[in-house]
Amino acid sequence: MREQKQTTILNHYSAWKYVLLVVTITVMLFSALPTFFGEDAAVQIAPEAELNVNPLELHQLLISHGIDLKRIDQSNGQTTVILADNAQQTQLKTLLSQQVKDPSKLTLTLAPAAPNWLLSLGFNPIKLGLDLRGGVQFLLDVEIEPVYKLHNNAFIEAVRQFVRQDSLFGVSVKQQVDGRVQIQTADLTQRAAIREFINKQYPNWQISNAGDKSLQVALSEAEKLNIRDLTVKQNLQIMRSRIEQLGITEAVVQRQGEHRIRIELPGVQDPAAAKSVIGATASLAFYQVKQAGSVNAQTLKDEHGQAVYVARRPVLGGEHIVDARATLGEMGLPEVVIHLDREGGSMMSDFSRDNIGKPMATSYSEYSRDENGQIRQSTEVISVATIQSQLGDRFSITGAGNYAQAQELALLLRAGSMTAPVTIVEERTIGPSLGEENITNGFSALALGMGVTLLFMGLWYRRLGWVANVALMANMILIFGLMALIPGAVLTLPGIAGLVLTVGMAVDTNVLIFERIKDKLKEGRSFAHAIDRGFDSAFSTIVDANFTTMITAVVLYAIGNGPIQGFALTLGLGLLTSMFTGIFASRALINWAYGRNFSRNVKV
Amino acid sequence: MKFNNMSSLGKLTKARYLSSVFSLLIMLASVAIIVTNGFNWGLDFTGGIVTEVKLDPSIKAAQISQVLGHDSKQEVSVISAGEPGRWVLRYAKVDSGASADIQSVLAPLTDNVEVLNSSIVGPQIGQELAEQGGLALLAAMLCILGYLSFRFEWRLASGALLALFHDVIFVLAFFSLTQMEFNLTILAAVLAILGYSLNDSIVIADRVREVLIAKPKMAIDEICSSAVKATFSRTMVTSGTTLFTVAALWIMGGTPLQGFSIAMFLGIMIGTISSISVGTCLPEYLKVSAEHYKVEPISDAP
Repeated sequence: MREQKQTTILNHYSAWKYVLLVVTITVMLFSALPTFFGEDAAVQIAPEAELNVNPLELHQLLISHGIDLKRIDQSNGQTTVILADNAQQTQLKTLLSQQVKDPSKLTLTLAPAAPNWLLSLGFNPIKLGLDLRGGVQFLLDVEIEPVYKLHNNAFIEAVRQFVRQDSLFGVSVKQQVDGRVQIQTADLTQRAAIREFINKQYPNWQISNAGDKSLQVALSEAEKLNIRDLTVKQNLQIMRSRIEQLGITEAVVQRQGEHRIRIELPGVQDPAAAKSVIGATASLAFYQVKQAGSVNAQTLKDEHGQAVYVARRPVLGGEHIVDARATLGEMGLPEVVIHLDREGGSMMSDFSRDNIGKPMATSYSEYSRDENGQIRQSTEVISVATIQSQLGDRFSITGAGNYAQAQELALLLRAGSMTAPVTIVEERTIGPSLGEENITNGFSALALGMGVTLLFMGLWYRRLGWVANVALMANMILIFGLMALIPGAVLTLPGIAGLVLTVGMAVDTNVLIFERIKDKLKEGRSFAHAIDRGFDSAFSTIVDANFTTMITAVVLYAIGNGPIQGFALTLGLGLLTSMFTGIFASRALINWAYGRNFSRNVKV
Repeated sequence: MKFNNMSSLGKLTKARYLSSVFSLLIMLASVAIIVTNGFNWGLDFTGGIVTEVKLDPSIKAAQISQVLGHDSKQEVSVISAGEPGRWVLRYAKVDSGASADIQSVLAPLTDNVEVLNSSIVGPQIGQELAEQGGLALLAAMLCILGYLSFRFEWRLASGALLALFHDVIFVLAFFSLTQMEFNLTILAAVLAILGYSLNDSIVIADRVREVLIAKPKMAIDEICSSAVKATFSRTMVTSGTTLFTVAALWIMGGTPLQGFSIAMFLGIMIGTISSISVGTCLPEYLKVSAEHYKVEPISDAP
């Protein structure tokens, strides 16, 4: 058998490795480039906004108002006004809102400043965190307890009604402090009857015997989790649709942890306006549908803007809705099952008895405060359905469309009941000037740190120093390129600090290797052999040393919040890229430059 | 020089012992400082309101403090933020009537209030963040412990761990002594120090292990000293470049990164020292020897 050693050439990388290296770095360079051009603040005018001047006039108008314009783009009817001075964004929006029919279709946005050919390759700038861009961040807490309570109350009412209907005397149903429901019965037959009723009607409730004649009933843990999940999702959906009204393209609405919602509004400077939108309340109502042109009718618009004639007073309001869920009905058709409280149930029962075969409309209203603090109401008809039979406290609406649409309707219905109060538990505002200051400071620190490191490495390791320096620069290109490519990666101020640290630490890989090469040279080996042994013997140390920092980076990312996650991200990415450039790229460079150098008295 | 100079190794060993004693004293002092002084917990952990504003430089801190205190009925700390006219206003409690609109509160003083940034953190969030932070520190420590005991024999690993504990406690003591604000960013720095402190210790431990295996007959104090010596120029260069860059961050990074860079600077400096002092002396004290790194012969039995 031939020995492996003889078939491999010392200090030789095959051509494909060089190709891989060059391609990787080139792609990453292109990916990193747009970030250096930065982004310009812009205002987007959607076609529906109906701009009433042509771009040329608009240009002159804006300049006459002292707006520092970069350019005006127009494509597919959409006009984008791009600013040279980012601070004028709000001013520009105010000016533009006088030139359009529908100011709500104006959106604040950022336009990449990189040349078009670069953007058309699909590369985009790195997303900046709020601490670098300026903006407002809210953390909302969704309170779930009131929702459980509502379910409990409805359940208690239902049991009491059952007890009355079946004339079970001597039964008491009580709410306990720990959230459970205690049912005290007079005898065992009663208990069995109630047990059967609960099992049939409320399969999600857990029943346990307490003593001989009483029952303890509570929502099952799985159902509680389910309710919490639905409640948070519902609030998330409501917040998304409300934030949409603010017209900020880069807004982030995300679930954080079990019952929190994080909202990031880049570019927004006034938390008060955003707060009123977030804190808007919604309500829901069921109306009797009237003939078009009827005297005692009001008109509401549906989602297509078509008028629906409905009675002036609603049959009942959304405050009676306990729960609404989308299911597949008996015929396999999607439907929304609505669960009303007792009062709502009897109102609906009375109304539907007299109106079988007639349509009923469901409307959704939202109340919010506008900029002047005035309460504004917007109402929309979300469904019109025909009443098939007399309805009780549980009924279903069919004809809402496919399953996804039924789910959306269920969401809106639950939203209308607004059972989970939402409170703002954290609010952070970063002014635009501070954001820009942070960017300038961060990047000048990066430049200074990088400069000093490059100079030092060049002087200290003379012959090998340039390799470390090329590797370090490649490392920076890789990090920036990856940050721009990874979806959801955000650069924050601590993230820049992580980059600066990476610069200092990335050379460590090279230093470890170079010191080993020095040792091997001292032992009297030739340069080429010293290089080969140096890389080999340093490898395990490099992996060990980087692994522990990687652990902290992962832990930080897992439990940190926004800015800290940014730090963990650049720290972790920096470790990975520095291994790539420090080991692979430097080896490629050294092989190419010194791989065949067998002289023995080399100084490094 | 090809052969190790024994007398210089002896000197180095003495220096290591001496610095270890010094390190132990520092640790004791650090613990005492933390216990007596505690920390100046930042907004992230306590909850409250912090607003940074830019006002007319002629307005005095006392004036601002009076107006704010009158409005919110609580003590409001007014701290100068670097340049004249720039102030950090800190309320301890979120509710209790603290008006959200700082512009109108400061209206009696001036019309020209520029809000640079403001944070409102509810007390429950602060509590949660503090718990999460502690958990992060613990989780990181445990993971590292696991990794170290997997990669190194426990005697060698214990040195790295003691060095790590030493560094973290020193940085914490610094923040306790100076009463600089301890916020989330500082916690991130402390966690990063965990990683970097180990970096140095591991490089040296790797060398110790290598020499142990290569020269099993050598005295343990000489092995440690020669490992320190062999890695010394690497330690200096890496710590040097990292300190340079952190210093760059300190000088240019501005106020938000000040605490972070100070923590990192101290952590890296002390981490370098401790990896040489306690990092190597503890395994030596625990009598780590070549025995512990013998390659176990694979038994023939299945």
